[in-house]
Amino acid sequence: MKDTVLGILEDLTGSDEVSKDLDVNLFETGLLDSMATVQLLLELQAQCGIDVPVSEFERSEWDTPNKIIAKVESMQ
Amino acid sequence: MENIISRIDRIATENPDRIAYDYLGRTNTYGELKEKSDALAAYLKASNLPEKAPLIVFGGQDFQMIATFLGIVKSGRAYIPVDVHSSEDRVKVIEEIAKPAACIALSELPETGREVPVISRERLDEIMAEEGKPVSEEDYVKGDDDFYVIFTSGTTGKPKGVRIAHDDLASFVDWMDRDFGLEKEQTALSQAPYSFDLSVMDLYPTLTNGGKLEVLPKETTDNFKQLFSRLPEMKVNTWVSTPSFADICLLSKEFDEKHLPDLKRFMFCGEELTHQTAQRLRERFPNAQVFNTYGPTEATVAVTQTEITDEVLENYQRLPIGVCKEDAKIILLDENGNEAEAGKAGEITIVGAGVSKGYLNNPEKTNQAFFEYEGKRAYRTGDLGRFDSNGQLMYMGRLDFQVKLHGYRIELEDVDQCLSHVSLVERAATVPRYDGNHKVSQLIAYVVLKNAEFENEFKMTQAIKEELKETMMPYMMPQRFVYVETLPLTQNGKVDRKSLIKEVNR
Repeated sequence: MKDTVLGILEDLTGSDEVSKDLDVNLFETGLLDSMATVQLLLELQAQCGIDVPVSEFERSEWDTPNKIIAKVESMQ
Repeated sequence: MENIISRIDRIATENPDRIAYDYLGRTNTYGELKEKSDALAAYLKASNLPEKAPLIVFGGQDFQMIATFLGIVKSGRAYIPVDVHSSEDRVKVIEEIAKPAACIALSELPETGREVPVISRERLDEIMAEEGKPVSEEDYVKGDDDFYVIFTSGTTGKPKGVRIAHDDLASFVDWMDRDFGLEKEQTALSQAPYSFDLSVMDLYPTLTNGGKLEVLPKETTDNFKQLFSRLPEMKVNTWVSTPSFADICLLSKEFDEKHLPDLKRFMFCGEELTHQTAQRLRERFPNAQVFNTYGPTEATVAVTQTEITDEVLENYQRLPIGVCKEDAKIILLDENGNEAEAGKAGEITIVGAGVSKGYLNNPEKTNQAFFEYEGKRAYRTGDLGRFDSNGQLMYMGRLDFQVKLHGYRIELEDVDQCLSHVSLVERAATVPRYDGNHKVSQLIAYVVLKNAEFENEFKMTQAIKEELKETMMPYMMPQRFVYVETLPLTQNGKVDRKSLIKEVNR
């Protein structure tokens, strides 16, 4: 699961920084923007089978690779 | 024409307690807007700052920003909005080109080794709290004086500062008043940063009519939970945004008439409105109007408009951009600079009211794009267009993204357009690969799929090609398909084709 999430993040950000530093803030560093966030949600749905309605997406709960992995694991 | 600033002042005098600005529930009135801008104008007027030189205003989207803009204009100078999210390099290059009289820093300004004075937020608060002797209306920016200068977003090369005069803006506001059926005292969505001239479409038509601006700062639009909880509270009736922002909102099932019953019209500018986006909006908001508009920053936000009705959706695959406002006109020029024959395509060229004087401190670029036509200012947009049999202007892509491959002329945006109609494809951007002689050797399509899951890249490409054959001339067919999750965007949310071109030609 962890690898799948990191794979998605690497593809979206075009950077392996996300796998090197699992606590990097994806938004403050500009690695993710809102269009990429939309893609992230769609990818998580397609590859991990978790459905996060866009209107429920609270950015501060999803702003590092570690938080995203924990979220995905808790929702499965 | 009544002065724009005098119009706003008049509302403030008649109805000082009317709400002008709502920033996530924090409201400010017309009276405050007048008081603060009067105080700043009085301060600037009494200062030793060089007259006529513009001022940079660096900050986000809070009320202080617009009070500052109006204060500067009341003192007879133009303002240059620079967004708080701009890179240090961008701030530096804008300062170098603009040679401002001063910078007003509502947020912390990057250090650039500047010599011009900086007015901090704390100092500005003090200035705005003082009761100075109001400046006379005679001192306001008027006529052909610059009102604002907005720097283009250019991701490569040097940005250009587009000079917009008072009368250019007045012509735009007048057109909005007449041709969009806006009611007095509208409540408008204000989402674009002030450094992007789309913001002018909500700011001045609203303030000159006593309406209210409902501000959605970037921090809120980026956090979808906040965005979608705030949207229904704002009770916006006029929606102004890029189509891309509406696409994000459409992802929520609650973005519809039932949840947003006040919405009466959508006004789009800044990038091409696709058939798909317009269709979805018509379905979700059957009682709202959808307007497509078109225009470059160089001709004051927009100059053509048309309503996208169900009938238009039925008759057009690529949506028309409409008809020109009354006090300007569109001519189409061929390669030799002559007017194209009737029915033929040509470079969209705007003549008349609203056309800028040119780029600030850049005569070379000004002379390349601006000229005089029948005694009026004219601007060559670099966009290709034609008039269809209904007299509607059709946008056909950028001239500078036209490539030649094996002797054929190809509009990269045409290829994108065909690709976006393929059932498997969400969005696409096509870019050329050049050989050692700067000739195009290949077209490469970057494709975002609707469903990112697929077994086999080769089979996917075959399936797309099969479908493309039905709509696309064979010479337009991209040689390579690259599947990506997103396309890079420029600061203003348009597809950043230039960065893709760089990437494939590295």
